[in-house]
Amino acid sequence: MAIMMPASDQAVLARRAEIVAALRAIVPGEGVIDSAAEMRAYESDGLTAYRQPPMVVVLPDTTEQVSLVLKYCAGQGIKVVPRGSGTSLSGGALPLEDGVLLGLGKFKRIREIDFDNRAVVTEPGVTNLAISQAVAHAGFYYAPDPSSQIACSIGGNVAENSGGVHCLKYGMTTNNVLGCEIVLMSGEILRIGGKSAENSGYDLMGVITGSEGLLGVITEITVRILQKPETARALMVGFAQVEAAGECVARIIGAGIIPGGMEMMDKPAIHAAEAFVHAGYPLDVEALLIIELDGPSVEVDELITRVETIANGCGSTTCQISTSEAERNLFWAGRKAAFPAVGRISPDYLCMDGTIPRGALPKALARIRELSEKYQLGCANVFHAGDGNLHPLILYDANKPGEIERAEAFGADILRACVEFGGVLTGEHGVGIEKRDLMPEMFSEIDLNQQQRLKCAFDAQGLLNPGKVFPTLHRCAELGRVHVHAGKLAFPDIPRF
Amino acid sequence: MDTLKVRDAKDVEEVVRAAIANEQPLEIIGHGSKRSIGHTMATNAVLDLSALSAVTSYEPNELIVTLQAGAPVADVLSLIDSKNQQFAFEPMNTAPLLGTPALGTIGGMISAGLAGPRRIKAGGARDHLLGAHAVSGFGDSFKTGGKVVKNVTGYDLCKLLAGSWGTLSVMTEVTLKVMPKPEAERTLLLPGLDDAAANKAMTAALGSPFDVSAAAHLPKSAFRSRTDGLTDGLTDGLGDIAGQGEALTLLRLEGITASAAHRAGSLRELLAPFGTATLIEDAASSALWATIRDVLPFAAGGALGAWPVWRIVCPPASGAALGAQLAHETGGDVIYDWGGGLIWAALPPKGDAHAPSVRLRTNAVGGHATLIRAAEDVRRSVDVFHPQAPGVTALSERVRAGFDPKTILNRGRLTRGTAT
Repeated sequence: MAIMMPASDQAVLARRAEIVAALRAIVPGEGVIDSAAEMRAYESDGLTAYRQPPMVVVLPDTTEQVSLVLKYCAGQGIKVVPRGSGTSLSGGALPLEDGVLLGLGKFKRIREIDFDNRAVVTEPGVTNLAISQAVAHAGFYYAPDPSSQIACSIGGNVAENSGGVHCLKYGMTTNNVLGCEIVLMSGEILRIGGKSAENSGYDLMGVITGSEGLLGVITEITVRILQKPETARALMVGFAQVEAAGECVARIIGAGIIPGGMEMMDKPAIHAAEAFVHAGYPLDVEALLIIELDGPSVEVDELITRVETIANGCGSTTCQISTSEAERNLFWAGRKAAFPAVGRISPDYLCMDGTIPRGALPKALARIRELSEKYQLGCANVFHAGDGNLHPLILYDANKPGEIERAEAFGADILRACVEFGGVLTGEHGVGIEKRDLMPEMFSEIDLNQQQRLKCAFDAQGLLNPGKVFPTLHRCAELGRVHVHAGKLAFPDIPRF
Repeated sequence: MDTLKVRDAKDVEEVVRAAIANEQPLEIIGHGSKRSIGHTMATNAVLDLSALSAVTSYEPNELIVTLQAGAPVADVLSLIDSKNQQFAFEPMNTAPLLGTPALGTIGGMISAGLAGPRRIKAGGARDHLLGAHAVSGFGDSFKTGGKVVKNVTGYDLCKLLAGSWGTLSVMTEVTLKVMPKPEAERTLLLPGLDDAAANKAMTAALGSPFDVSAAAHLPKSAFRSRTDGLTDGLTDGLGDIAGQGEALTLLRLEGITASAAHRAGSLRELLAPFGTATLIEDAASSALWATIRDVLPFAAGGALGAWPVWRIVCPPASGAALGAQLAHETGGDVIYDWGGGLIWAALPPKGDAHAPSVRLRTNAVGGHATLIRAAEDVRRSVDVFHPQAPGVTALSERVRAGFDPKTILNRGRLTRGTAT
């Protein structure tokens, strides 16, 4: 494992049998798993390069049990790692050797569907897609659609602030969540928000969303639902140069058009996807844009024409416009299967997730090509082009000595480039362990300390999911100290009135 | 009392550090346009950010603008308007309601986080703040977020800063999302509905696929302020449509012209059981929504100018029952926005501004109420911001102390009796 996790607490490990018994007293029956064979299912999440069996797995099915487990662990100084469906691509649910893995998989019930308030109250283990399915009969859906939506849990979506293809127009998880029930590490159960459009006081829901399981364990979520657009159509546009495709994206946005989705693939990704799903992608182009417009037909038809004109103006070499749902789905099939398609042409791949200003797309692609040469590893690129979110897929073979290290170094250089171009380390996958040690590329020690003070407000002992997000951990007492700057007793000499 | 007009982020750090050393609180202001919202603060000096007024960068194609916190809202709005863009959350202009000069800074706009009618579709200030530089109560400059629309790197401290009323940090620079202005807007007007029926009509509209971007209801009584006239050229934007003196339910559709017109037609059919809707377009429509956004029927210069005003946020389908009950109990007036999820209530003057009844009724539906306008002596005896459950209050206080352990910034503004 290339990344250092917090040192295991030997005293805790020595008491394992006692801890397992105490947890069994809280969660009876099959809810506590301690056999090595059964725990193997939990040793990794979607970032499979990292594996670590936990000390014990607990699968509670009530909020009270979650509260009692956390209270017990807090009292005993035992670390806890929360987990939803385990689809994190950044290692957010990677277990700790001396930690309890707290799985929320049994929280599978949708508690209330409230069409009048356009809200669904759900348990965290319900999958993202299941929410949309539960309200589909009334024409509603839940907008954020990460590509893992058939498997990923809504609790995990809140923890990671998940995005998806449609978040350019409809926002990320944070823009679509109204409230939650959360259990703090102390075992205290709190309710934040509800069915109102906004909460009173500080926006705690806003910081809980995307906190990567470090602030609390979510046991209920209220999301807002939307009416499905009347129709959707897509254009598939090919370009002889990546720069032209980047320019096309900028001009569409510049023209005031916010598509439902706007995706870009480069040549290696196009070829891999076409070989896999035969979507009819042009193979002689350097970049392919899939642009989806949604809304009433009268609007979609008009915008399709406008986008087509813009694409022509940018020198597109091919342009197909979907005329049926089947055709639209076919355009998307290749893009949606891009990750497994790349999995077929390479034994292993690393999926990166930086965001850059849209205008920097050509520059970023050029840099990725240079790095690909330098590290002698292939790279296929798929982007959420509309919001500048890059997903370079670095191809490597874990069985060849040194390739995983080279792939990770390549990935780190891509993320450094994202920051250099004015962007950020992660657009939707989270920091987790994957980008943890790169955080200083983007944030100063003061910035990171301020974030950790928030952690202290929720979990002063630092027992919840330690080792994720922050490269260096500080004690809360140390972070809370106010430094009085000597000689600063008087206000500085600035204009007074 | 000193007013310290800072010139840059370094000045802000120095002032806060000196305040920490002296253990003396600071009041943070931009133009001071919302100073009357909240409790009276303990303060030893005023930190004035209005000189930090530059536009750092504006990139229309990236849909972002980076601004110093003291940049005047009016200037920024006209800048982005020149590129046919807007803040999609329709920030409220509080000047008419509070009776202050038409001013306000970007920092104040974010710190107050008062979003307008499009909140239901586009989100609030918190959804449009992408990044910030700020000075904490530790006297340190920090940054959070970034300059791109899609970012999950680290905790999203921007969410906390938006709506924190200057109690967590002094923002010095912010990056905000801007969005294209819609090509056209259409508003359907349904006359004569009572609050309950209007709530049902708004629920039907917002549950339709027609992408309604705003839904409001003005009960008949909301027009009574017009009979006394508005002072000093203040117009309420209602124009002739209020001529009948009937209640009005308003539903807005925005987008490309053909689409807005098409959806207006479809929505009119859907709402036929509630009556025959009339249609207004573009400039007339936007003037009307500015009236709702800025709550002009309760303007300080109007007939109800001396009445305390509550801003109540609740589950939208509970709006009418709550609002009608409050109006009936107190003899006050209400206006509904956000499809019923936002109630503006102007209640007859009373020492406690009817707080017990407002809070009781609001709690019963899971909402929260803020006393936006009231005389200082009323605010001394009433909690301006909605009291929360003890566990949430305690957590919020720990969060606050994590930014400002010595309570240097806007001490006492949010919680009654904490100024000393």
